[in-house]
Amino acid sequence: MLAYIDPGSGSLLIQAIIALFFGAIFYVKASWRKFKGLFSRKKDEEDSQE
Amino acid sequence: MKTNNIVPSSFRDPAGFVFVKDNVVYRQINKEYQRHYRKLMDGGLYEALIKKKWMVCHEEVDIEVDDAYKVIRPQQIPFISYSYEWCFSQLKDAALLTLDIQELALRFGMTLKDSSSYNIQFLPQPIFIDTTSFEEYEEGSAWVGYRQFCRHFLAPLALMSYGNIHFNKILTSYIDGIPLDFTSSLLPRRTKFNISLLSHIHLHAKGESFEGASQKTKNYKVSKLGLLGIIDSLRSCIQRLRLKKAHSSIWSDYYEKELNYTDEAFTAKKKIIGEMLQNIAPQSIVDLGANRGIFSRVASEMGIYTISSDIDPIAIERNYIEVKSSKRANLLPLVVDITNPSPGIGWENAERESFFTRVPKTTTLALALIHHLVIANNLPFKKVATFFSRICKNLIIEFVPKSDSQVQRMLRHREDIFSFYTQQNFASAFAKEFEIKQTVPVVGSDRIIYLMERK
Repeated sequence: MLAYIDPGSGSLLIQAIIALFFGAIFYVKASWRKFKGLFSRKKDEEDSQE
Repeated sequence: MKTNNIVPSSFRDPAGFVFVKDNVVYRQINKEYQRHYRKLMDGGLYEALIKKKWMVCHEEVDIEVDDAYKVIRPQQIPFISYSYEWCFSQLKDAALLTLDIQELALRFGMTLKDSSSYNIQFLPQPIFIDTTSFEEYEEGSAWVGYRQFCRHFLAPLALMSYGNIHFNKILTSYIDGIPLDFTSSLLPRRTKFNISLLSHIHLHAKGESFEGASQKTKNYKVSKLGLLGIIDSLRSCIQRLRLKKAHSSIWSDYYEKELNYTDEAFTAKKKIIGEMLQNIAPQSIVDLGANRGIFSRVASEMGIYTISSDIDPIAIERNYIEVKSSKRANLLPLVVDITNPSPGIGWENAERESFFTRVPKTTTLALALIHHLVIANNLPFKKVATFFSRICKNLIIEFVPKSDSQVQRMLRHREDIFSFYTQQNFASAFAKEFEIKQTVPVVGSDRIIYLMERK
């Protein structure tokens, strides 16, 4: 790595902790979006067939 | 060749530096950055960034320089501006672009090794200018630029939104962004109930205070999903930040409420300025005290690159939103107080240049400005004339007489110590520095527009 700025050890610790939390939320949000996507795609197809 | 003309701000990153040769900006890419540069160029990220117009394009050039892997000539930026000169929406757009780029980079197996606001410029849409900011992403590694992002973008935006619209001006004192403990202490307590602000500002500030407590820095692992989660949280937090409704201002309502301009005077003034500009035919101009940029647009529509500056951040906010919606490429709105313009900051006060060092020194538009300088700021005509002679060759300046309702309003609550404030004294002070080429009264008002050329 060519990290030329100091990320700060305290800042890295916080990042590691909150990444677990926001990562989990992101996973749920992305899965939900995928689920909704499947559903709406089906609906779109139905709509286009009408 | 040895490069002597290295840009003063370009010394931090060992990946390369920026230099100027024959008025063209180049970027040297050092050998130690070669692996990352190849990944950027061959891995598809560069192409994706250019396609989205998120980053400046470049071409590799044949300039022999010591220690260089390559020298590139990036797309040239007509005017470099800084975050303390941007309005709220400009800073917000710059922040969101940085997050979009980091997300895209991760998709291509790269990451931003810094997230400085100085890497963004306006064309007028925000654009990323630092080609050497990307490095190969290693699975499990944290985002090195996370703290910098919070300090450069999230902190000023949160303070502008929850506190005061003028807060980004404080960035002139903090070149590497507003410290998070400082930000945390200034934000209202209710921001602790906002999960994103609680994490990225308040807890982050607490985390920083532990720094140095432990002897050994641990190698904290962060998953890619975690990084995407952080980006997502920062993005939705920033998208939700808004300016307070109370931040309305006197100046941005100037044209709507004020009685200074009749429709006739307004049209006449536009016509006069258009004709004067046609006469000078400049490539670029600086409009000082531009308000929402109505007269800047006269220039911009003539194909002249226009820097449209005003002291009022709300006026600049409106100006920027109009520029964005009309996709006006040659107009840059900036918040600048002429009586206290952005200074040179950083190492030797040279890292980021002062506003008037950067502006093109050709043509200046100073409409409805003189009374603010002379009456509101007690500047003698002589000082104002000398100042203008230093910053421009051609000057279009409007004289606002004492009978004008704006001047009367300024004098309402103070003693009138301005007996010298007459058109004659104005003209004779300026005649020492400039040749007065044209004097045109604005029909339907008491104001007079002068076209002058520096002697």
